[in-house]
Amino acid sequence: MKKIEAIIKPFKLDDVKEALNGIGIKGMTISEVKGYGRQKGHKEIYRGAEYIVDFIPKAKLEIIVEAAQVDEVIETIRQAALTGKIGDGKIFVLPVEEVIRVRTGEKGKEAI
Amino acid sequence: MALVEQNHMYKETGEISGLSGRMQTAIEPQDFSGLQARRQALDVYWQQGVSGYALLRKHSDFIDHHLADSFARSAPPGEGFALVALGGYGRQELYPFSDIDLMLLYDPARKDELKSLVEAILYPLWDTGLEVGHAVRTLEECMADASEDFFFRVAMLDARLIAGSAPLFAKLTEKYKTVYIEGKRQEFLDDMLEQRLKRETQYGRHTYLLEPHIKEGCGGFRDIQSMVWTAHVVFGLQDLASLQEAGLLSLEEFKRFEQAQDYLIRIRNRLHYVSGRKNDQLFFEHQEEMAQAFGFTNAKDMLAVEHFMREVYGHMQTISVTTDLFFEHVEEVLGSDDAPMAGKTLEPGIEVRHNKIHLANTERIRSEPKLFMRLFYQSSRIGKSLHFRTRKAITANLQRVDDKLRHSRRNAKLFLSILVAPEPFRVLEEMLDTGFLTTYIPELAKVESLAQHDVYHVFTVDRHLVQTINELEKLKEDESNTYAVVSSPHILFLAGLLHDVGKGFGHGHADRGADLARQVGERMGLTTNELGILDFLVRNHLFLSHTAQRRDLEDEDLIMRCARQVNTPEKLAMLYLLTIADARATGPTVWNDWKAALLLELYLKLALLLDRKDLSAQEQERSAELGAQWIREKVSELLPQGAKTNFDLFSDDYLLSFPPEVIVQHINYAKKLDKEDVLFLHEQSRDSWSLLVITRDRSGLLARIFGVLALHNLNVLAAKIFTWGDGTAVDTIEVSSAISETYDWQDWEAMESELHLAIKQRLGLEHRLSRKLAPLRNRPQGVQQRLAAKVAIDNEASEIYSIIEVFSEDRIGILYDITKALSDFGISIYRARIGSKADQVVDVFYVLDNDGKKIEDPSFIKELQEGLLYAVSKQ
Repeated sequence: MKKIEAIIKPFKLDDVKEALNGIGIKGMTISEVKGYGRQKGHKEIYRGAEYIVDFIPKAKLEIIVEAAQVDEVIETIRQAALTGKIGDGKIFVLPVEEVIRVRTGEKGKEAI
Repeated sequence: MALVEQNHMYKETGEISGLSGRMQTAIEPQDFSGLQARRQALDVYWQQGVSGYALLRKHSDFIDHHLADSFARSAPPGEGFALVALGGYGRQELYPFSDIDLMLLYDPARKDELKSLVEAILYPLWDTGLEVGHAVRTLEECMADASEDFFFRVAMLDARLIAGSAPLFAKLTEKYKTVYIEGKRQEFLDDMLEQRLKRETQYGRHTYLLEPHIKEGCGGFRDIQSMVWTAHVVFGLQDLASLQEAGLLSLEEFKRFEQAQDYLIRIRNRLHYVSGRKNDQLFFEHQEEMAQAFGFTNAKDMLAVEHFMREVYGHMQTISVTTDLFFEHVEEVLGSDDAPMAGKTLEPGIEVRHNKIHLANTERIRSEPKLFMRLFYQSSRIGKSLHFRTRKAITANLQRVDDKLRHSRRNAKLFLSILVAPEPFRVLEEMLDTGFLTTYIPELAKVESLAQHDVYHVFTVDRHLVQTINELEKLKEDESNTYAVVSSPHILFLAGLLHDVGKGFGHGHADRGADLARQVGERMGLTTNELGILDFLVRNHLFLSHTAQRRDLEDEDLIMRCARQVNTPEKLAMLYLLTIADARATGPTVWNDWKAALLLELYLKLALLLDRKDLSAQEQERSAELGAQWIREKVSELLPQGAKTNFDLFSDDYLLSFPPEVIVQHINYAKKLDKEDVLFLHEQSRDSWSLLVITRDRSGLLARIFGVLALHNLNVLAAKIFTWGDGTAVDTIEVSSAISETYDWQDWEAMESELHLAIKQRLGLEHRLSRKLAPLRNRPQGVQQRLAAKVAIDNEASEIYSIIEVFSEDRIGILYDITKALSDFGISIYRARIGSKADQVVDVFYVLDNDGKKIEDPSFIKELQEGLLYAVSKQ
């Protein structure tokens, strides 16, 4: 099992969710995150006031899938999140040791 | 939990069951064998349709019976012991999972017999699984504990003898009365008010929270009890009915209050069932089930649960308002030893007395309905609340608020002035609580106490609207720059108050709301222009947040379309403020710095575009003028008295680009230009440095500055280049190091001296840079996707200047190359905005050719474009 974490542009969230639904991914965790990478924060001055944005708002998705599905999920996210411009985001894949469903205690594949 | 899982579908009836109830066959406590059968008993009562207060009483009787039974079986003979019920149990109000508060009062002489009696009483209770609060005290101990513990002191007010010695119990109640009630009225009231305040802090001051706590929350049972207790201690009144008889409540108030109380009782009963435990908070997850139990069904425009919650909020509101009025009354009665003060007349019919605003004569409001708004206006003007009797008079005479009043211009003017005055929130809340607001603006009645069943909306719609006004007021300061652009704040505030007026009819609330708002505005006599803005704001109040969160803000076409839709900087500013206020007033999860950052990005993009592009020349100029005027005033205030400053030197554009303090700093530095040729300042700001160069303008100046920066490995993050009317160049440049994270080693002195040399044309920048940059130019080819460079020349946007926009990939020295190229073409740069974003540079130059004219010759434009493209793509 793998955990896929994707950091994407917020406005792409609906597209990515829809695309993932399309390949049968029904569950995910979504959070509002902030950070910066190559796309740095910036400072603007408008009408005498300084506006500093030190971080850039992004959406983060976390999905647990079976190893066999990883490539498909990555490609789906990548295509749906792509604008071709800087700041499109990143995808991370991490190993997952175990998954347990709290309600039933099911483990592994069944619990995804 | 058999009780819960059987999942009764009996509906809570609207009827109030009296004590005798509607039972077909009366089942008595003795029909059940012992306390163990408590659940079974409740089940039977429930199935028989016993609900509301009757169920509480039945439950209490049941416990009484079995406790008395245990007591009788094991109590030693004589007058040594009394079993006493306290608190809610003392009042015979036992909810399915309420605590049972018991006290065994004993004669210290009989201490030895205590143990077996306690066991006989408590063990069976524990076996039922109920929460039992128990204590064993002598009379002396009772008095001592009461002196220390406010809650025990209050619980004692409801003490009731269940079994045992009546004389012993009577001794206790007598003593309690002498020590803690008689002559202690003021102390009692103070304690009570202090507790109320504590509860308000802990549970919120409002009745309309998403998950109301019906026991401790505002408008909950504690409020009811506090009122009854206080009436008992202060006036010797025993129950609600006697409050009405004593004239503390009007008949109307009494009826509504009693109705509200009965409703809450039924809710709390049901809530205990639904949760299967002692739970007094109407959690989100229970609300739908509760709504169903209370017989609500989903309708086209309102969910069952929203309907239900609206009733709940309405009743809690009744309780909250009534108890507030009651406590104000009591405070006044007890505080009346102050010498009666003559009121100060504010205007005919209205006076201020003891810090409250009064109707001089409550009858007068009937014949002079204009007094309604005058009262609130005075309250707003002098910052004092209306006296409770005046509030009662307003509520009692609302039918006098007629169409004539609603159409009165004078009245509307007062109302709008209240909105923009300080503390509009306080006044609007009083308007809402007295019922005046929804009578004056009947469109708002539809959203009164209207709940929205989702986890975002913490407030009911009416409270949310008033809260929005509160947030708008805060923005006067928090976003003072944006607020300064708004020339008609009353329209902004009115839009804040009305933006959700279209809710409660299903989808499309913004459009419907705009129509309703227009209707309100017309009645108030707003001008066509004002109506247009009001309509626009209400109709589009979700536009900015939706766009910011769901659309690609890098899409320039989108930004352009949005800018056209918003049209003027002033409308944008108003919409931006409304968006923030709306989000902040919705709930804690709706507004955070994540969303703020997205919204700000959109706002700035639109604002800069609206300022530059000629979307609506007139409007835009006017609003920029207002902003610049404000800055001029600020700057004059900041400059020392008597300092002569010729403001004609500064363009609006320049003034709008800096905070007033910075402009003052520029003016002060520039005075030194008499002695020195070049003034250079550097200052650390966060992770970059801010450089200021002031000197006389000359051709090629910028190229020389940027060249020196490149020589010192500094990346230009942003720059603002201005030339004052007297030829003083004021350039502020934001830089960061291209090589190092820290600037400790940065040799500012060497840089400053090279800057002097360069500006005086005594530094060979070209050869120094080519030597310097050679190693940096050996970039690996083809690894990075190259961004296509672009040069656009626009003669439309500005009346005076040609605007050159250069888009290219960033690299060190690029600005030197661009400005050098411009200088070689003999082009003067009057203003520049340098913005590196990500790896891309977007530089905007406001320029004229060497004849001081716009660049309009097509062949020169082409040549210039090619020259600049070559400059930026140099390797």
